[in-house]
This record gives sequence, C-alpha cells and structure tokens, in this order.
Amino acid sequence: MFYTGRDSAQFLAQTEYIDTAIVPLIPVHVTKETMQMGASQADYILSLANALENQFKGRVVAFPSFSYVSGQSKEQLLVDWKSAFAASPFKHILFLTGDSEWNQLDGSIFWTATIPLDSMEPKMRGKILEDQVRQLIPRIAEKWNSPS
Amino acid sequence: MSNNKVTRRQFLSYTLTGVGGFMAAGMLMPMVRFAIDPVLQKKDGGDFVTTDVAVADITEEPTRVDFTFEQVDAWYTSEVTNTAWVYKSGDSIVALSPICKHLGCTVNWAGDAEYPDQFFCPCHEGRYEKNGKNVPGTPPLGPLDVFEVRESADGLLEIGMAVPNNLV
Ligand code: FES
Repeated sequence: MFYTGRDSAQFLAQTEYIDTAIVPLIPVHVTKETMQMGASQADYILSLANALENQFKGRVVAFPSFSYVSGQSKEQLLVDWKSAFAASPFKHILFLTGDSEWNQLDGSIFWTATIPLDSMEPKMRGKILEDQVRQLIPRIAEKWNSPS
Repeated sequence: MSNNKVTRRQFLSYTLTGVGGFMAAGMLMPMVRFAIDPVLQKKDGGDFVTTDVAVADITEEPTRVDFTFEQVDAWYTSEVTNTAWVYKSGDSIVALSPICKHLGCTVNWAGDAEYPDQFFCPCHEGRYEKNGKNVPGTPPLGPLDVFEVRESADGLLEIGMAVPNNLV
C-alpha cells in the first residue's frame, strides 16, 4: 500500500495485517560535485521502496520519503519519527536508506548499498531491483518475527 | 456604395476570418484527436503479450516469467511489467498470477523451506498448492488467478488476461 487516501481506507480497516511502515530516508546533495551521486542514490532508494511495496503490498505502507540536508541531527530525527509512529497503528517501522551515517544508529534502519540504475535499460533495472528485494525478504521476515 | 455590396474592408475581414478559421482548425484537429484517440483505440488480438520464453523449454518446475506491456492512460503511456509463475502440467502450460489473494503481496514458489512444493506468501504466511489452490488455515481465502496462455507461431509463450483459477 501507499500512503494515499485510497489505500489508507484499506489499511485502517486491516491494521491487524498491514502493520509495517516503510520510510525512505534521502539525503539531498546539491553542490555541483555531489548532486549527480546524490540524485542517483535517491533514485535507487526510491525505486527499491517501490519494489518492496510491490512485493509486500498487503503488509506494508510505503510513506513519502524523508529528505534532509547535512547538518541535521540524525539522532533527533529518529527520536521524532519513532515517537510519532508510537502513536500509530503500525507495529514495525523500517527506514530505508543508502546514507551510511544512519548505519549504526538503530535496528529499524535498513541500510543498503546503492546501485546506480541511471543508464540501465528498464529490463535490467527491473531484474536488479527484483534480486535486491529477494535478498531483503529474509531480513524483513526476521524483523516481523522478532518483537519490536 | 450600396449596402449589399461587399466592401473591400469586409471582403478582407471575411477572407482573413476564413483563413484564420482553417488555421485554427488545422491546429486544433490533432489536439482533439490526441484527446479522443485513446478512447477510440481498439486493442487488437485479445491482449496477448509475447514473452521471450520458448514453450519447449518450460519444465514442470514453476519458473518466473516477466512480461511487459504498454499501458495507455489517456495521454500517458507507461510500461508495466507483470510476472507469472509458469510450468508444464501434462500437455498444457499453466501460468499462475503471483498476486496473493489475501491482501495482494507477491507469492514465491518454494518460498518457505518447510514447504518446497507450495507457493508461499511472506506477508502473512499464506500458502498455495502448485495448481494455485489456497491451503486452508492460511490467510488467503481463494486460489491464485491463472493467465490465459497460447503459443506463438515461432514457439514462444504468449500470456493473456488473468482469469479466475479453473484448475482447482
Ligand atoms: S497478503 Fe498473502 S498472506 Fe496476506
């Protein structure tokens, strides 16, 4: 499901089954030197979030990404997000990011190496994302099976 | 100058309006066509998509087959990729939809090591037998849909519409 008006009616009715929020964390780089790399990373993470939503449609809600610039306190952001979600029907929250600064912060951070998809033809792109999703299935299943 | 004669000024303005009208129509027609065309367009050949899988290569082990088609939403054309689980059963080819009948996750063949001969849905541990029949006691309440299939003239698998499961 996506965080849209139409899907939200369904997930509110099925909170017993739809219990996981996916939130992409996207660092925004805007200097001449960093823009290309940053945009390519963002592209990958957002595509991966889409692919995960497709695989786990009946259990997750993919939220709009959270974008930030450098200098914001990640610890504080995480506290804010978590306390907001503590009041929600979601049991699990999964932050998806390619930014390694989040890496060690918390068990809910799903860091993944990003793959530049830019110049790939759609078929190849789909294949790579599918492989990545398949690798993430056990990691996510593990999260579901452990109380959080 | 009498009233029912066309003056030079009137003649010019009529002519120009006429020409302008033609020009406007010339510009508008394609736009109108674009707007209406997707609605008028008929799909051909019953919507079968040719895959790159040869029918002769299909085995009894369910295998993922991706197929891509163009979806036209009014002005916007996008490519949609769908997946099917394809296998051979006797003389016929079966293509099952991977969309879980519970809440729509994607199911995988042998996705759970404990049930190597079933489709598994990782979301709420739904299971289906090889023919798509839902295993009672798991969340799904109906069998997986099947896709219509046929063989192209050069032996490739063609996949059509998803229809309710007729194998269980
Ligand atoms: S969506 Fe497949 S078991 Fe719930």
